[in-house]
Amino acid sequence: MRMDWLPRAPSSAVLLWTFAALCLYSLATLWSVTEGIRGPYEMTDSGIPKAIFWRQVVWVGIGWIALLVAMRTSLQFFEEAAPLLYLAAVLLLVLVLVLAPEVAGSRRWFALGPLRMQPSEPAKIALVLMLARLFSTYVSQQRQLLPVIGSLLLAALPLALVLREPDLGTSLVYAALWLGAVFWFGLSWVFILSVGSPLLSAIFNFYSESVIHQAWPWGAYLLLLMAGLTVARFRLLESFLLVLANIAAGVGVSFFWDGLKPYQQERILTFFDPTRDQFGTGYQAIQSKVAIGSGGLFGTEYLQGTQKGLAFLPERHTDFIFSVVGEELGFIGALMLVALYMVIVLKGLEIASKARKSFSSLVALGVTVYFAFHVIVNIAITTGLLPVTGLPLPVMSYGGSNLVVSAFMLGLLANIGSRTFES
Amino acid sequence: MRDIKIFQARIMRGVILLLFGVIVVELFVLQILKHEHYKGQSLQNRQVQIRVKPPRGRILDREGYVLADNVYIADITLPRSSLGTDGPDSTLARLMDWFNLPVDETLERLRDQKASGRPRLTLVANADMPRIAAVEERRRELPGARVEARARRRYTEGELFAHIIGYVGEVRPEEVGDEDDHTAYHPGDTVGREGLEASWEGDLRGEPGLFLKEVNAVGRVVGRRDVPLRPVISGQDVTLTLSRTLQDSLSSAMADRQGAAVALALPSGEVLAAISNPAYDPNLFTTGISSRDWQRLLDDPRHPFLNRIIQATYPPGSPYKIVTSLAGLEAAVVGKWTHFDPCFGAYQFGNRAFRCWKRSGHGELDHAGGLVHSCDVFYYQLGLRLELEQLRDMAHLLGLGQSTGSPFSAEVSGNIPDTAWYDDHYGPGKWTRGVMLNNAIGQGEILVTPLQMAVMTARVALNDGHLKPRFRIREDEAIPDPVRPLPIDVENLEWLRHAMTRVVDMGTGTRAKLEAIEVAGKTGTAENPHGEDHAWFVCFAPASSPTVAFVVILEHGGHGGAVAAPVAARWLTAYFNWCDRSSGGES
Repeated sequence: MRMDWLPRAPSSAVLLWTFAALCLYSLATLWSVTEGIRGPYEMTDSGIPKAIFWRQVVWVGIGWIALLVAMRTSLQFFEEAAPLLYLAAVLLLVLVLVLAPEVAGSRRWFALGPLRMQPSEPAKIALVLMLARLFSTYVSQQRQLLPVIGSLLLAALPLALVLREPDLGTSLVYAALWLGAVFWFGLSWVFILSVGSPLLSAIFNFYSESVIHQAWPWGAYLLLLMAGLTVARFRLLESFLLVLANIAAGVGVSFFWDGLKPYQQERILTFFDPTRDQFGTGYQAIQSKVAIGSGGLFGTEYLQGTQKGLAFLPERHTDFIFSVVGEELGFIGALMLVALYMVIVLKGLEIASKARKSFSSLVALGVTVYFAFHVIVNIAITTGLLPVTGLPLPVMSYGGSNLVVSAFMLGLLANIGSRTFES
Repeated sequence: MRDIKIFQARIMRGVILLLFGVIVVELFVLQILKHEHYKGQSLQNRQVQIRVKPPRGRILDREGYVLADNVYIADITLPRSSLGTDGPDSTLARLMDWFNLPVDETLERLRDQKASGRPRLTLVANADMPRIAAVEERRRELPGARVEARARRRYTEGELFAHIIGYVGEVRPEEVGDEDDHTAYHPGDTVGREGLEASWEGDLRGEPGLFLKEVNAVGRVVGRRDVPLRPVISGQDVTLTLSRTLQDSLSSAMADRQGAAVALALPSGEVLAAISNPAYDPNLFTTGISSRDWQRLLDDPRHPFLNRIIQATYPPGSPYKIVTSLAGLEAAVVGKWTHFDPCFGAYQFGNRAFRCWKRSGHGELDHAGGLVHSCDVFYYQLGLRLELEQLRDMAHLLGLGQSTGSPFSAEVSGNIPDTAWYDDHYGPGKWTRGVMLNNAIGQGEILVTPLQMAVMTARVALNDGHLKPRFRIREDEAIPDPVRPLPIDVENLEWLRHAMTRVVDMGTGTRAKLEAIEVAGKTGTAENPHGEDHAWFVCFAPASSPTVAFVVILEHGGHGGAVAAPVAARWLTAYFNWCDRSSGGES
């Protein structure tokens, strides 16, 4: 007996099993987070209500529906609908800025009855589809500048809107999606250099000016760049323009820095010096490391983490849920979780490189970049490798929008995967 | 396209695997290599060693009335890190905003506290309910902030016992002990500063304890059990020999006049009442005295901080004639009925006339008459028959010119000059026997404290050479020391007591007379080079079997008989009423 709605190829089956495992992992961790600590403690209040868990159960159900919808819809439809979906997403991003109430200094959510919707999440899908469509139309032509600039504008629009909310983490996801698509589209070294080197220049200038207050790292970088360009025998005009772009990016970052919100500035500065603010974002980073580190090889035992249970760990049901896994289930539990994500990412890369149509390939790559970026950056934040930025761990973190979007993305991947390996 | 994609897929796979590899390595470092470190951190996060201050012992009066106790008030405190080098953190900034605290002033104050080494900074001392509620309700927005209960010393009788009890204050940096020794003084601890609070610090303070407590992220104690590492030992309650009722009576008897008065119970030597006027309110020091109030008290020309009972020295004046008489009798240079040359208002010595206080003269008096009427001329002649050392020895026997053994560290000894002293100060041969005339009447360089005078009066009244003033009733000292008589002929003492009875009965001290009870006393008018004479009155009662000795000095008061004796009469009346009430209550 063959059930028509079941995945048709083993490649997709792996993705579905992985998603199921992540859902269970997420619910188990959220159950723990919403349980009061056991043992010789007077405090039984976990600080996070049980309702969080039950809501996530509902979201997991909705997520499965989204996954099946994405899997069962024809890719052609997505290719044709991409511009419309993109416009709708941008419209929602505009509306959220205008209509949404301000919560803790930012406008990110629409309230739909008891559930809240974060339009910046579905916009990730729209951006992936739109970029895929744009690049796939230019794939057979030799022109590079036009699609790159076009895609830059397409990515910059939602990025700017999300930055206005403000939501630095999500805007970085858009940037990563764009970079991934451009990279997959294929570019010459000159092009990569002309985009990449100003970015490095900006980072060096920031480090010089705002962190150590000394000019030499940026200066050294510029000298090194010029030397490199001379050695590689770049044409004089190109070299000149490149250096100019580097200087402009360096100077530009100062203005960008001044334009950041104080709390954003503080987060970045705290990253370079965590002792700066023991009770603010530095506190989050320190407590997260303590939680993960105290877990050891096997963890403190499920439900028994004190960093979690005594509320030392902030955002333990959302952005820092990985730290709870690290504390309670230890190195082994954390590795298992990382492995699940690696399955998705590596499978996604395989599907992207084997997809026959360039649109499918680019969509698959977008989904891969989405998961890779979210997972790597989120875990790097919880282990103190990167500054604290609001970025959920896909599927694991509490939050409906992200769960449904992640499920939908996986559905797209499974959809492409099943077609790729079908014939 | 396909080839390029394979190339790009390789790069991307490489990059992604590398990044995942970095994460796995970091997890390995955190969870395996540094596991012990973070496990310790996690434990340190929630386990706090808390040093618990002991409640300070109370101070009670002899009837059990509480004179000093502790009231618990709430402070809003912050960790030291709230005030960084670059300004206040978000918690401090928020609280200053909510409470409308003046920013510059507040930061200045907290900076001082931080410099003093306190473990936590007190943003608001003795906070009111709305502020406490604000902090408790919004803890999550205020990491680090705490509401902490603190004991504040309360002096229920304020000024009345100021100079006896003294006050407490915060330890000074130089008094702070080793940080690791929980029993040593830590910054922010309370210590007795003045009076008996300081003298009995060892008993009153108790010993701080040490507990291990488990706390949650906002610092609230969540552990069901505290692990006691060292117990808290409460400070001992201390019972004074003084009575609030009698102290109150003495205060009103003195009616705000500058001076001092002491009453000793006999034969125990227990101090029943002791007043030094003017006084100050010791509560000012525990609620936080403003610099304006402090300066006003310091600048007060009447010196309210001076404990006149033990710290101020005065010439004893005529009551010193008790010493002179006894010295003369013991040296047998004068008899009980000896007559000297009559008094015509002055005595010629060398080329100088030494006046008697009574310009018209006393005529011819015997020894007892000389004491009863306080005739200076009689004592000039007696003095000339004595040596300085004989006077000095008698004064010391009676407790003058030396510490009385009171618990006050500020007690001064005064001065009873002898030959060596005069040689020291004027040079050998540079002074004459004329000093004997002044010494005989308690003038010149003799300086004594009111408490010493009370001891002298008590020793004479009881014939107890070792009587000492006591300020504390101790149950382990219930049996009083046996009376050890003075090395003085009992007949001489009896003669003296009889003469002192006549002083009140018919001499200079008639204003101290009571209706039903015979009082024995001696008036004094001490010449004071700085202004109006000081008025003395020393006495004991009842004359035949004394139960109380009383001494009063009123600075710049004038005649002892006129102003000091009435104070004694008023207080003694209250005292005997109190005795009747006490015994009535007991039966």
